[in-house]
Amino acid sequence: MQPPTGPALASAPESPPGAAPGSPLLRWQWREVQAPCLVAGWILVASLAKIVFQLSRKVTSVVPESCLLILLGLGLGGIVLAIAKRAEYQLEPSMFFLFLLPPIVLDSGYFMPSRLFFDNLGAILTYAVIGTLWNSFATGAALWGLKQAGLMDAGVDAGLMDFLLFGSLISAVDPVAVLAVFEEVHINETLFIIVFGESLLNDAVTVVLYKVFNSFVEMGPAHVQATDYLKGVASFFVVSLGGAAVGLLFAFLLALITRFTKRVRIIEPLFVFLLAYMAYLAAEMVSLSSILAVTFCGICCKKYVEANISRKSRTTVKYTMKTLASSSETVIFMFLGISAVDTSKWAWDTALVLGTLLFILLFRAVGVILQTWVLNRFRLTPLDRIDQVVMSYGGLRGAVAFALVILLDGDKVRAKDYFVATTIVVVFFTVLVQGLTIKPLVKWLKVKRSDHHKPTLNEELHEHAFDHILAAVEDVVGHHGYRYWRDRWEQFDKRYLSQLLMRKSAYRLKDEIWDVYCKLNIRDAISFVDQGGHVLSASRLTLPSMPSRTSMSESSVTNLLRESGSGACLDLQVIDTVRSRRDKEDAVMHHVLCGSLYKPRRRYKASYSRHFISPSTQERQDKEIFQQNMKRRLETFKSTKHNVCSAKSKARLKKDGRKKQKKSAANAELPNGKPPRSVTWQQTAAAVLVAVDSDDEESDSSETEKEEDEGIVFIARATDAILQGKKASGSLDVCPSPRIIPPSPTSAERELPWKGDRGDLAVYISSETTKIVPVDMQAAWKQSISSLESVASPPGAEPGPHAKTVAGPAPEERQMMPEPRTCFQFPNPLLRSSRPQSAGSPERTEQPELQPLMAPDEQGRMSTAAGPGNSRWLIQFNRPTRFSDG
Amino acid sequence: MGSSHSMPEEIQELADKTGFTLEQIEHLHRRFKQISGDQPTLRKESFDRIPDLEFNPIRSKIVRAFFDKRNLRQAPDGLADEINFEDFLTIMSYFRPIEMNMDEEQLDHFRKEKLKFLFHMYDSDNDGKITLQEYRKVVEELLSRNPHLEKESARSIADGAMMEAASICVGQMVGPLWVV
Repeated sequence: MQPPTGPALASAPESPPGAAPGSPLLRWQWREVQAPCLVAGWILVASLAKIVFQLSRKVTSVVPESCLLILLGLGLGGIVLAIAKRAEYQLEPSMFFLFLLPPIVLDSGYFMPSRLFFDNLGAILTYAVIGTLWNSFATGAALWGLKQAGLMDAGVDAGLMDFLLFGSLISAVDPVAVLAVFEEVHINETLFIIVFGESLLNDAVTVVLYKVFNSFVEMGPAHVQATDYLKGVASFFVVSLGGAAVGLLFAFLLALITRFTKRVRIIEPLFVFLLAYMAYLAAEMVSLSSILAVTFCGICCKKYVEANISRKSRTTVKYTMKTLASSSETVIFMFLGISAVDTSKWAWDTALVLGTLLFILLFRAVGVILQTWVLNRFRLTPLDRIDQVVMSYGGLRGAVAFALVILLDGDKVRAKDYFVATTIVVVFFTVLVQGLTIKPLVKWLKVKRSDHHKPTLNEELHEHAFDHILAAVEDVVGHHGYRYWRDRWEQFDKRYLSQLLMRKSAYRLKDEIWDVYCKLNIRDAISFVDQGGHVLSASRLTLPSMPSRTSMSESSVTNLLRESGSGACLDLQVIDTVRSRRDKEDAVMHHVLCGSLYKPRRRYKASYSRHFISPSTQERQDKEIFQQNMKRRLETFKSTKHNVCSAKSKARLKKDGRKKQKKSAANAELPNGKPPRSVTWQQTAAAVLVAVDSDDEESDSSETEKEEDEGIVFIARATDAILQGKKASGSLDVCPSPRIIPPSPTSAERELPWKGDRGDLAVYISSETTKIVPVDMQAAWKQSISSLESVASPPGAEPGPHAKTVAGPAPEERQMMPEPRTCFQFPNPLLRSSRPQSAGSPERTEQPELQPLMAPDEQGRMSTAAGPGNSRWLIQFNRPTRFSDG
Repeated sequence: MGSSHSMPEEIQELADKTGFTLEQIEHLHRRFKQISGDQPTLRKESFDRIPDLEFNPIRSKIVRAFFDKRNLRQAPDGLADEINFEDFLTIMSYFRPIEMNMDEEQLDHFRKEKLKFLFHMYDSDNDGKITLQEYRKVVEELLSRNPHLEKESARSIADGAMMEAASICVGQMVGPLWVV
């Protein structure tokens, strides 16, 4: 793309001109920095232009950025031409292929939705190979026919081979242009992946055709022998398969290398870029399809690389890749515009230009329709007419064609100037006209748009279930189809490849479902904290992973505080009560955070190292969480051994219940469509009752609904209700004083929900209710924390205390028994004391700030405590017919 | 063809009923005999003869679906002990691809049938509802191939998924997944 004009580069290394004798104070060294300075300058101009474009949303919503950039390039080129009297800059093929194209291809390969890609591989390959072959031959031959018919200017001195050569370079759909335009259009994924996949994979065909015809032209058509044609066919397979093989090889190397980068985290991203680039260069070196190499390298390494490198590196890779690709794209389009100004290389022939435009559009459409007709016989979801229109119309040509035509040897291909002009017109036409009109077209045709939504757990689960079911059906039928092989491949991958290419720690936990789950949990956790913890006031519970969430805009802490404050304090009389309620809430909140959040120590080492980003806080964090966790478990073990069921357990129980109920209240309320105004304590209390005596739940929850609007009045009752609830859930015969509940293990065992769990869990579910049972957020919390924890301590290492705890119960109870028991534990003095105070101690709220290190042993409470235990508190909400209407 | 389906009319009848072509039925019949060991009916054990099925994590659920009377359209619940070829075809017909010439209504019906089949697979106690317990079982089985994930994580995943399902379904009368 850069300073093409020979003298500039050639004279660059010279000593500065007019170096005066003696030692000057300042020296003008432009020539030394000229080349890099120009590169940086152009990129800067292009990037600034992008900012300017985005200033006006009206323009960018209609005109694709690529069009704007091309126009800008035209303008800049015109200015340069006017000043310098000659075209200074243009898109240099070597620059383009060696520096500008690789980032774009790598980006698209690496972030290619691989599942979608491989599911549609058949269609993509058909369009890429057969479609491109058809396009080039048909276009070339038709143009030659035009020439033979005498419609073309005599100056176009070209034979059949020249036209075929031109056809081969002009017919390939361009990945850069397609990506640039289609990314803004948001058509559905299948359509996108087919058009885009085609544009990537047709590179092999284009390269082969281009090379073969080029050599034919250079040899002169008279000297071409039959073996040359055969060689051409053979070279197609060599180039495409070889390119893919190079990509796979480098993907393998890359994955293997990242397995061992644990101690050099900081250069992890570098490996990704270096090896991918090496793949590109290696393929280029042996004249294989370099685009295929990088594409496959990107697609195949992603899974392993992502598992191996650290989270920060992942982000770095992502951003760097996007930055590089985006700037390359910008520069490419701009230089396309600039290059077009260079009229010295133009030779215009109207018939050629119009003919080419007509033919590429026509043959593309014909090709697409014919191929789709064939493909639809095999496709499960056929491509309909509208899809075909978009596919034919979306065949954009771009910089690849331009660079290839510039590369032609003007001495051998005598019509080069005509071809250049035609290519420029074609590229401009497809990018400008088609790029501009495709969006309205898509809208007008009502093409299915992509619905961008975050992955949901259910989707992932069902997808896996489908895969297995379909694979099983293929097994049963004895038909070894696509799914069979995919299944086989996944097994092979799990057994050998992943073990070889992934870190042990990563491999153990590698599971798509689990990954999605962790991701969602982390997102929830982040939003939980972002919301200032007011998730706990039930009504505020909006988790981002829940697609039905309302806007999060008002979730800032101050807003929340203001709202809940104003909502509660309308009545002066109850201010006291209100405060206590809020205090309670804060206290509970505090315990939740205290138990489940990692508390960073306030000893920051001010250290700087080029090679490490601080002594990896993440690991230290994991380790500490793990240790605390272990400590807690050991304590649990001790106390369970002595069969101590102290008051702690009661308190713990109560708290559990409370929080859970809140959650349930939240869930219960949402369906009402009521605005999420403050759900208050009393509702929570009512919900406690609901959960506890499942017989009365109908009346109780109706009570909940009634109470909802009454607000403050019920606060006093609420505490009672909580106490009752606690009593009910704990042991019915104990005295109500929360402090001195005597240990009564037997009754507890009788009454505690998880104790009665052997087999019949539906006890807590009434038959009319939905059975889609919400679970406490703690479960989610717990998992997100414990997933962190398990990074540090692979699950295999944990069962130590675990196993000891369980020593007694039968194996199938293992999972149930030990965890719930931790609920009984309440070792934290803070919590013990908190309950009596909870009626109104303002300092409680301050504790988080005052004692960041407080209660380290409570750390990970959420993580150990009661996933299963909690979840067995099946709280149904009161929407009988919603979810199971059938 | 087997003794019971030797008549061409019968095959034709089967074809009309299940929507398979004659060749497909023939192929399926060959496979049926292979699995059943030349018996007229399939039993659960017969599926052990399919080696590829062995690694399928939800194998038991899938095999069970073959014997589920709801899927066989015989009874509202219960499990059959053995299925004959016609039943086999009935089950298989759930997996037919949609055809180009189907109208909207048929398509809808077809999709619903498929969804029902899946639903029945999840709903192991035949009460028309998927409970958390049932869902957990499915998730556990799905994850059972990974020895490093504990059952507990499967549980929490199922819990999370249920919660999510609840939140998705809110506001819509019919959850997208559980159209039954």
